[in-house]
Amino acid sequence: MASRFWTQGDSDTEEEESDYDEQEDDAPVETATATAASRYYSGNASDSDDSDGQKRVVRRVKDKRFDELSATVDQMKNAMKINDWVSLQESFEKINKQLGKVMRVTESDKPPNLYIKALVMLEDFLNQALANKEAKKKMSSSNAKALNSMKQKLKKNNKLYEDMINQCREKPELFEEKVEEEQESEDDVTDDNVTDDDVSDDLDAEETDDEEETGNDAEAGSGWEKMLSKKDKMMDKQFKDPSQITWDTVNKKFKEIVAARGKKGTGRMELVEQLTFLTRVAKTPAQKLEIFFSVVSAQFDVNPSLSGHMPINVWKQCVQNMLAILDVLTQYPNIVVDDMVEPDENETQKGADFNGTIRIWGNLVAFLEKVDVEYFKSLQVIDPHTREYVERLKDEPMFLVLAQNVQEYLEKVGDHKGASKVALKRVELVYYKPQEVYDAMRKLAEQDNGESESGEEKVVNEIRGPTAFVATPELVPRKPTFPENSRALMDILVSLIYKYGDERTKARAMLCDIYHHAIFDEFSTSRDLLLMSHLQDNVQHMDISTQILFNRAMSQLGLCSFRASLVPEAHGCLSELYSAGRVKELLAQGVSQSRYHEKTPEQERLERRRQMPYHMHINLELLESVHLICAMLLEVPNMAANVHDAKRKVISKNFRRLLEMSERQTFTGPPENVRDHVMAATRALRQGDFDKAFAVIKSLDVWKLLRNKDSVLEMLKAKIKEEALRTYLFTYSLAYDSLSLDHLSKMFDLSDAQTRSIVSKMMINEELHASWDQPTGCIVFRDVEHTRLQALAFHLTEKLSVLAETNERAIEARFGGGGLEGLPLRRKDGQDYAGAAASGGGGGGWWQEFSFNQNRQGSSGGRGGYTISGRASAPGLVSSGYSRDGQARSGGYGSGRAYHTGSGARGGQSDGSTRMVNLNRGVRT
Amino acid sequence: MASKFDLTPRIAPNLDRHLVFPLLEFLQERGLYPEEDILKAKIELLNHTNMVDYAMDIHKSLYRSDDVPQDMIDRRAEVVGRLKVLEDGAAPLIGFLQNPQAVQELRADKQYNLQMLNERYQIGPEQIDALYDYAKFQFECGNYSGAADYLHQYRALCTNNDKSLSALWGKLAAEVLMQNWDIALEELNHLKEIIDSKNFSSPLNQVQNRIWLMHWSLFIFFNHDNGRTQIIDLFNQDKYLSAIQTNAPHLLRYLATAFIVNKRRRPQFKEFIKVIQPEQYSHDDPITEFLACIYVNYDFDGAQKKMRECEEAILNDPFLGKRIEEGNFTTVPLRDEFLENARLFIFETYCRIHQRIDMGVLAEKLNLNYEEAERWIVNLIRTSKLEARIDSKLGTIIMEPNDTNVYEQLINHTTALSNRTYKIVHQLLENAPAQTAR
Repeated sequence: MASRFWTQGDSDTEEEESDYDEQEDDAPVETATATAASRYYSGNASDSDDSDGQKRVVRRVKDKRFDELSATVDQMKNAMKINDWVSLQESFEKINKQLGKVMRVTESDKPPNLYIKALVMLEDFLNQALANKEAKKKMSSSNAKALNSMKQKLKKNNKLYEDMINQCREKPELFEEKVEEEQESEDDVTDDNVTDDDVSDDLDAEETDDEEETGNDAEAGSGWEKMLSKKDKMMDKQFKDPSQITWDTVNKKFKEIVAARGKKGTGRMELVEQLTFLTRVAKTPAQKLEIFFSVVSAQFDVNPSLSGHMPINVWKQCVQNMLAILDVLTQYPNIVVDDMVEPDENETQKGADFNGTIRIWGNLVAFLEKVDVEYFKSLQVIDPHTREYVERLKDEPMFLVLAQNVQEYLEKVGDHKGASKVALKRVELVYYKPQEVYDAMRKLAEQDNGESESGEEKVVNEIRGPTAFVATPELVPRKPTFPENSRALMDILVSLIYKYGDERTKARAMLCDIYHHAIFDEFSTSRDLLLMSHLQDNVQHMDISTQILFNRAMSQLGLCSFRASLVPEAHGCLSELYSAGRVKELLAQGVSQSRYHEKTPEQERLERRRQMPYHMHINLELLESVHLICAMLLEVPNMAANVHDAKRKVISKNFRRLLEMSERQTFTGPPENVRDHVMAATRALRQGDFDKAFAVIKSLDVWKLLRNKDSVLEMLKAKIKEEALRTYLFTYSLAYDSLSLDHLSKMFDLSDAQTRSIVSKMMINEELHASWDQPTGCIVFRDVEHTRLQALAFHLTEKLSVLAETNERAIEARFGGGGLEGLPLRRKDGQDYAGAAASGGGGGGWWQEFSFNQNRQGSSGGRGGYTISGRASAPGLVSSGYSRDGQARSGGYGSGRAYHTGSGARGGQSDGSTRMVNLNRGVRT
Repeated sequence: MASKFDLTPRIAPNLDRHLVFPLLEFLQERGLYPEEDILKAKIELLNHTNMVDYAMDIHKSLYRSDDVPQDMIDRRAEVVGRLKVLEDGAAPLIGFLQNPQAVQELRADKQYNLQMLNERYQIGPEQIDALYDYAKFQFECGNYSGAADYLHQYRALCTNNDKSLSALWGKLAAEVLMQNWDIALEELNHLKEIIDSKNFSSPLNQVQNRIWLMHWSLFIFFNHDNGRTQIIDLFNQDKYLSAIQTNAPHLLRYLATAFIVNKRRRPQFKEFIKVIQPEQYSHDDPITEFLACIYVNYDFDGAQKKMRECEEAILNDPFLGKRIEEGNFTTVPLRDEFLENARLFIFETYCRIHQRIDMGVLAEKLNLNYEEAERWIVNLIRTSKLEARIDSKLGTIIMEPNDTNVYEQLINHTTALSNRTYKIVHQLLENAPAQTAR
């Protein structure tokens, strides 16, 4: 069974072997997916013996595989003799499968010589068969079909082993030159072209299938042409000779490819590849840029669905492309990117030495935003508990670099509006990071750069390969620069945005700023920003994602004020969030199921799209415990003070409800969740047992999430003591005629000064009818309790005034004489401001000014601002409460009484009422 | 450190250069800072004005030599030259204005005046602007009275609103520096009206203007007889208070002092306390802290300590610590007044929550000796400011309970009702015919 060709080749094989070794590195290694092989092998036993002989050391399994392989080669040879293409095709497929096995066994990337030889033979036979047209005509139809498909498969398959085949041929020197030449040129390009796309193979395979069909349908003769028209190759051919490429050809090709975009049957990935190739042959920088823009938008197209995300490797490439765009733009400052004008057809023809401005269609900001959205989406989709998620998070610096560069470029060009938008994107990536996380990110970015430096250079070299006509050096830095402190970064970005951004950008930046300040425990700054920006009033009119951001900022502010031991403020911030029991939804941290309200799939999908990625979540348990503890601290003394009409003055409805529920239980078990803990603490606190209350609260495990856990707990303990003292006094003051200060201090483990201060405050506020007897250090209680009759009389008068008020409202509603006359002065002033600011048309400074009256209200109206602020509206639930203001303003300035809320009552919404109550109080006093 | 409570660094940026001089003078007198530093600061200040001679003097005293750096001499020559040029430019108009007969021809109508000047004296807008420049230069040179006169006349003639406003600022500064408090106050009110009514390009500008105004007004209010009431009227206005809160919280000291010293403004005082509370974080001032001690924390011992700090702060404050020489004594009237009132504040609040107080303790709290304290309290009781009696045997004061009668309260609740009802009916009747007629 000696081969005709290989009889004298024995000595050569050795050399070949070593050659293969060298080439191994360069050869494409995607053998696993290879779809075709050869069965055109006239090799012989001696040959296979040869290869066996070379590998005598190999284990038995390996031998077996090789035997199988050679058996198949024999079969192929037989089939060749009788010109049976059908069986040849079968064997070809079989040998490919076997090849996979063999390679697994030998654990090498290199296909065995035997296989290569078979391929060579097969190819030769194929060419022979094709050349012999007469013979082809004689073939049966099935045979012809098989020949055709063989031709394509072989072509594709051989491409993978190009080098080896060539080598194999050169040595025996039995083959014509021209075939090789062709192959070589093809080879070059493929190597360059297929840079690192694993996906491309699948696509290629797909494509081949497509073409196979067409090939089969068409006559065998024209099949040859068809095959070459496989776009990649044709392009390669077209641009094979660098000297022949002109602007025109590239442009034509570019137009062609772009036109194919979106059409059925155009592989999205393939489009990207082709365009990427074109970027390298582009003749002028402008053209290169234009093509780059198309590449990027084609990459955005890769993932068609709204809910899925772009493949991560594509995303990375996309970022690289964007950077490349920036490179070009920085190198040629005369190129202007614009999406407003329709550029001239041949604008891109102007070469690098052209001095005037060249306009290119494109929108960097939109691209950047899209990149950001894709990043965000991928984080939404990836399971946060996997390694993949962490890996993905590491890509963040990459995006930040891009954003930074785009922003710098835009600033240089003078597009401050765009720059502010980009700055917002950066802000949104930074604002939720505490300093530790920020530092980690910085370190990561620095490390990454150290490592990837070398890798990058490689990439650059590749790009600069011989085919890139317009070489662009990397002008923009690939390394993010972070200031030491995240605050510093925020300040820079945010001030840029306040200066140039539009309303929405500013509002979002403001919210991020508030959030960030809150994280850094700067409560007062954060609060001032919130009050000054008037966001609480306007947030209802904003888009849902901004509302979510607002809710997030509010809850963070609540946590911050809690850490700063400002309990009423914390409660004010958080209570609204918990009033509807839809916290998860409001913060976009998961979907809450509602029992009474079914969501449509559409709603659910929308909601899912709004979700925050896991790493941005605010811990809900911590939030809930802070909220409930604040409510407890406020509500327990309040309940003790108003035992008789408990329903009247409720601070936290939510808390009351929970308390009622827990009181209804027949048996109370040990506390399990946050609620149980707080309820247990409440029970203890109501009896004045502050130690137990604190112990229960302390046993919550959310406290470990706090940075300054000890000081917070310390603060909490002090607060609990204080409130326990107040509760005690409220509850039992009736039973005492006098109480000594010493005794009280000892009882509640407080210092004398503290006790004195607390009690004095209660006296001044007339919560406690008592006074100090200084020489003895006692509290002397005065008996001012009303008799039953007196109490009823007071009730009556109150009812009467309510009645009168209702009457007034009714009349106002009828005649519209609402009038702002009796409003406190400040309120009117506030409106002046509002008006002025509104007419001023959102000038740079309105954030500051707009809000002064709010600031004042917040501070002077007994923290009225906070109660208002609680009106975080639920996404999708826009309350009509706000309209009231407008009504009141336009409601005429006629006569009538002071209660401006009268006209407001029409809008009557429970959530807005907090504000009205506040104002009313102001009027009465 | 005595300089801890010094607000000069925070106030100075909001003042005109020339207005900072009195502050520096005061600091020099108090000796809070090394004299050398202050002299240097003065030179720094003068470098940007045209008062070169003065700068030279200071330089001499600072370095104790008669040598003057060359650039100062150069600058002097330059200033003189420039003065000449400007004087020439404004000469026609000044000539006109110095002629009493000609001035009589001017009427209240601005347009007419301009036309008249243009036709009969060939004085056009250029000359008028030259007057402004000349006035400004005069001011820079320290000739305040001249500057004030020219600016006044300029304002009568000019049509440019912005320049008119600057002229007004200039006039105010000049008057303040000449210590014509009455005129200055007039100008101040004038300026305030303009600021409040003018349409500023951005609200931020308006706030800035208000803040300047408030800073400048400090000079006037603490020197004018009626200033302490007016400072409350100005600062406590909503817009101004919010400006203070946002950009200049240190001004709260002056407002607080005015409130303490001024007894007639109690209702607003309550509001003010609420303002102080949240603003405490942003500044650190003994006077507001004192108020917080009494009215927020009820910490009387703390208030005691703060009172001493307050005294120091007042003495070292250029505005509050103004001295009056009476024979051989120098007194700081404001300090005495402040301490007296502060004491009263403490006492008042203290009494409100006590039934029986030991005289000795009280005396200590008031920084008085026993006898003085007794006399002081007797005085209060006599003038019926305090409902109390002294138990001299035990040495205690016993407060009279002052709860209002329950029935009285009930009546109070209901009296308003009838009035309201009446109004409703009235309104109803008033509107009813209109409704039916339609």
